[in-house]
Amino acid sequence: MTRPARLAVQGLAVALVAGLLALLIWRVANDNNKGVGQALSDGHHPTAPAFDLKRLDGRGSIDLASIRGKKPIVLDFWASWCVPCIHESKRLEAARKNYGGKITFIGVDTKDFSGDARKWLRQNGITYPSVHDGSGAVLAKWGGLPIPRIFFIARSGKVVGELITEEDLPRYLKQIAAS
Amino acid sequence: MRRFLLVLVAAFLVAPVARASERHPSLAELEGEVMCPVCGTTLDQSSSPAAQQIKRLIAARIAAGDTKTTIKNLLVSQYGEAILAAPEHKGFGLVAWWLPIAGIVTAAALLGIGVWRWSHSREAEPPPARLDPALERRLDDELRRFEA
Repeated sequence: MTRPARLAVQGLAVALVAGLLALLIWRVANDNNKGVGQALSDGHHPTAPAFDLKRLDGRGSIDLASIRGKKPIVLDFWASWCVPCIHESKRLEAARKNYGGKITFIGVDTKDFSGDARKWLRQNGITYPSVHDGSGAVLAKWGGLPIPRIFFIARSGKVVGELITEEDLPRYLKQIAAS
Repeated sequence: MRRFLLVLVAAFLVAPVARASERHPSLAELEGEVMCPVCGTTLDQSSSPAAQQIKRLIAARIAAGDTKTTIKNLLVSQYGEAILAAPEHKGFGLVAWWLPIAGIVTAAALLGIGVWRWSHSREAEPPPARLDPALERRLDDELRRFEA
């Protein structure tokens, strides 16, 4: 190999390594996407990330972007393997009786098998519509595991809060219903 | 030639086992090839409720007579590609299988070429310096006298 060719190959190798290193640094430095949960903890109220997922009852799909901004929404991330989810979803089901006309309740069944999820809905008497997020890609945008995670979206489309303590549920429901 | 025949015989021996595994997979082997969606480990490493639920599903599908591919396809349709512990041997997944092999082969070839070039570029050993004939004669005489 001639000297200029060898220098070119060496330069290319060094450039490749430098490029990969720069990519790694950029990725680490820009890893701010911790989801809606983290944004709320930081005091921000982000716009609810859109999703378009199939309904578990087979009646088409739910496109959050098309609902967002029209009516307040309660978003409930659950799975049939999640034991505490039963209690939380039942509370939302009960709340729906009072706020059903003013607030849209949507369940997001995540990292779950849809057959088990449908059975779970029947067994626990949950009637608000649920969509299937099998891979957990939507949950990741909202902050990831653990579940249950319940978010409250105002009529404006902004996420106003996440249910951290059970006692906060009536307050959040009142807040978004009045938005 | 003998080595080639050995590989051929091994391939013939392994092929029926692989076919049997495809038609009648065991729960244990699938547990090692499927991920728990909430724990970041394979199913056999996890006892979480989510993992238990998938194990039950797999056991039920095996009992129903499904092939390994059918069961994996069902899991992928429900949980996405990330449910598989290893990428599939098709499409973009092939890159993950063949890239390391290509890398190893390329590195071995480059190393071989480098070694070959290095060994051929070394200068030949210089012949041992000859002694002055007078000195050589004197040395021989001294040695003869010493041995006598």
